[in-house]
Amino acid sequence: MFDRLVLHETSGTKPALKSSTKIACGLASFALSGGLIAALLLSERAGPGLAALTASRMDESGVENPVTAVLLNFRSYDTLLEIAVLLIVAVAMLSMQPSATNRSMVEVNHRHSGDPVLAGLLRWLVALATVLSGYLLWTGAYAPGGAFQAGSVIAGACVALKLSGRYHFFWHPLKARLLLTIGLAVFVLVGGFCATGDKRVLEYPLEYAGMLILIIELAATVSIAAILLLLFTGLQDDKPDATQAGRPST
Amino acid sequence: MMGPTVHLLPALIGIPLFAAISCLLINNRKITACFSLAAAALLLALVVNLLEPLRLNTTAGGLTYQLGGWGAPLGIDLFVDGLAMILLLVTAVLILILSIYSVFYFQSNEKAARFWPLWWLLVAGLNCAFTAADIFNIYVALELIGLASVALVALDGSRASQVAALRYALVGLLGSLLYLMGVALLYRTYGTLSVVEISSLSQADALSTAALLLITTGLALKTALVPLHFWLPPAHGGAPAPVSAILSALVVKASFYLLIRYWLEILAPAAAELTMQLLGILGATAIIWGCLAAFRARRLKILVAYSTVAQLGYLFLLFPLVAADNSAETYGTTAIAAAMYFLVAHALAKSAMFLAVGNILTAYGHDEIRRLQGIARQQPLSLFTFAIAGVSLIGLPPTGGFIAKWLLLNAAISNAQWWWVAVMLLGGLMAAVYIFKVLNLAFISTSLDQATGCAQVPLGMALPGLILAVLAVCLGFNAEWLIDLLSIGGTAETGTLK
Repeated sequence: MFDRLVLHETSGTKPALKSSTKIACGLASFALSGGLIAALLLSERAGPGLAALTASRMDESGVENPVTAVLLNFRSYDTLLEIAVLLIVAVAMLSMQPSATNRSMVEVNHRHSGDPVLAGLLRWLVALATVLSGYLLWTGAYAPGGAFQAGSVIAGACVALKLSGRYHFFWHPLKARLLLTIGLAVFVLVGGFCATGDKRVLEYPLEYAGMLILIIELAATVSIAAILLLLFTGLQDDKPDATQAGRPST
Repeated sequence: MMGPTVHLLPALIGIPLFAAISCLLINNRKITACFSLAAAALLLALVVNLLEPLRLNTTAGGLTYQLGGWGAPLGIDLFVDGLAMILLLVTAVLILILSIYSVFYFQSNEKAARFWPLWWLLVAGLNCAFTAADIFNIYVALELIGLASVALVALDGSRASQVAALRYALVGLLGSLLYLMGVALLYRTYGTLSVVEISSLSQADALSTAALLLITTGLALKTALVPLHFWLPPAHGGAPAPVSAILSALVVKASFYLLIRYWLEILAPAAAELTMQLLGILGATAIIWGCLAAFRARRLKILVAYSTVAQLGYLFLLFPLVAADNSAETYGTTAIAAAMYFLVAHALAKSAMFLAVGNILTAYGHDEIRRLQGIARQQPLSLFTFAIAGVSLIGLPPTGGFIAKWLLLNAAISNAQWWWVAVMLLGGLMAAVYIFKVLNLAFISTSLDQATGCAQVPLGMALPGLILAVLAVCLGFNAEWLIDLLSIGGTAETGTLK
């Protein structure tokens, strides 16, 4: 959003900081860290924190990985709001995009032949990244992994596609906006529909907990991948010269 | 005792989130406008419906909702007491009126399409901050509020607003990181993130004090307490009118509300009297400096923004006054009631003022104070709104601003801290100077050629500001209910309040 401001207008100009300011900032940082270290040394750590409590209730969470249990069940509300934070970024970037609702989301430039080696590599790489992302998502239930990791792998594959110069992404069609919002929408809907009978919001029924968490994570993966790709295309399209430089060959 | 309405507590965050998603997907100006108005009305109805259960629930100290059914240390709770309820109510009322204004303000489809989703995400963040009972959850709420505000400030697309937004983003990021560092220290010390648990465990040890100072610095950056106010005037002065209104009325108050929670409740034992006096001194500096800068401002919107810096200073006088008041046991005590009253009065008056300035800007295409001669004849309604709001900001009777200042003066006198009285009276006098400077110009008769350069402002843009200004006056007639509401606080029973 601000890259034109930061990267273009300030490039080449030296930061006008006096050395006295620098020294003052350094001393302030030094004093702050010194004070914090002193405070840390002077105090005792309080027990194991919430780790023991989390471990004792893992069997009610529907997953085996404690990180996933905390992120998507015990403290799912925080994760829901974090996905909302990502959506803010998406809307802010969306406003910088060319607003052509009539174009389709992905446009293939058929005239652009590109590098045959790169095209061949991408054919393998994108498929591999998709499978890897699915694995990361699935493995999140019992080992490190999950929506954020899976989403960023897919986004990386799409960035490679974009850099090949054959594919262009447009974010104003309904389909694209659906991809950006589906993560938050599914999370809000699942959380809301949990509150039937005497259950509370975001209280998954025990027998379906694992399945619901997987559905939420799947939707979140899609949105995270879309938002990361939107960030990349937004930053790249902003700079016509960089778009040229980003293409390997024409 | 959980009434059926208590189960609606998560809807305070759910409705705005749902509205944000829908507005982004619909992408049609008229439908999103109708949808947003409906959502705003629904939100207000919900908050009003929560008032009664809160009154019935005074023994429990407030309404608690356990998200996911896990309960506090493991899961996250929502908690609403009298203090939170006042802010929720002000938010709901302002959102409804400002939404009506925004429908008329954003005429172009393109800007409306970006505005509404961000607007609702900001509302979700505000409601989340006011209902939070978990210190990490507060951090996420701060991120929601901060990023949505930055995106809204940048909405204008002009270079000046982009620079302001970027500075705002960096300041907000620094504030959030300082806050997060404080949260990490607190988790290390107390092994929990729950507000209720930390409140009952907290002590005056080195780490708690360090955490409190980090959190305070972070939140003071976001509240624009002098000398950390440098980002506010360009950001609030460069944003579209409804955004400026919400930033000045609610966004800076959210971080102030959290400061109250930390100093008087969560980390009350670590809050030393000396540091509270220091906060008061910074507040007094803010009053004087803000008024001086407002007087020197060349643009009307910058003047109003600096007036926010000054008015925020009054709020910080709460801390030295509470520190001295050892008899304080609930939030209903004089100093806190006065500060909360001030907060509500300022929120109404300042948003009315920003809407009036937005109308003047729309009508003339500029807001240079020097060239605003004779606007009383051409824009009587907007100027009337500006004048009433200004009277409330100065603190003249019979407005809400007068009662608020009266209560603050009372608190200062009864605690024998007369020097704050002098600052408050001086601040009122200086506010009168910069408000009357504008009004004086507005009544100078103008030559004919200037009058032709004025566009018509639709009634839908003129009325919301007037309603807000009238509400600010009405607040002065009915002081009791607000103070009654404040006294419903969970902290009274646990005795953690200083």
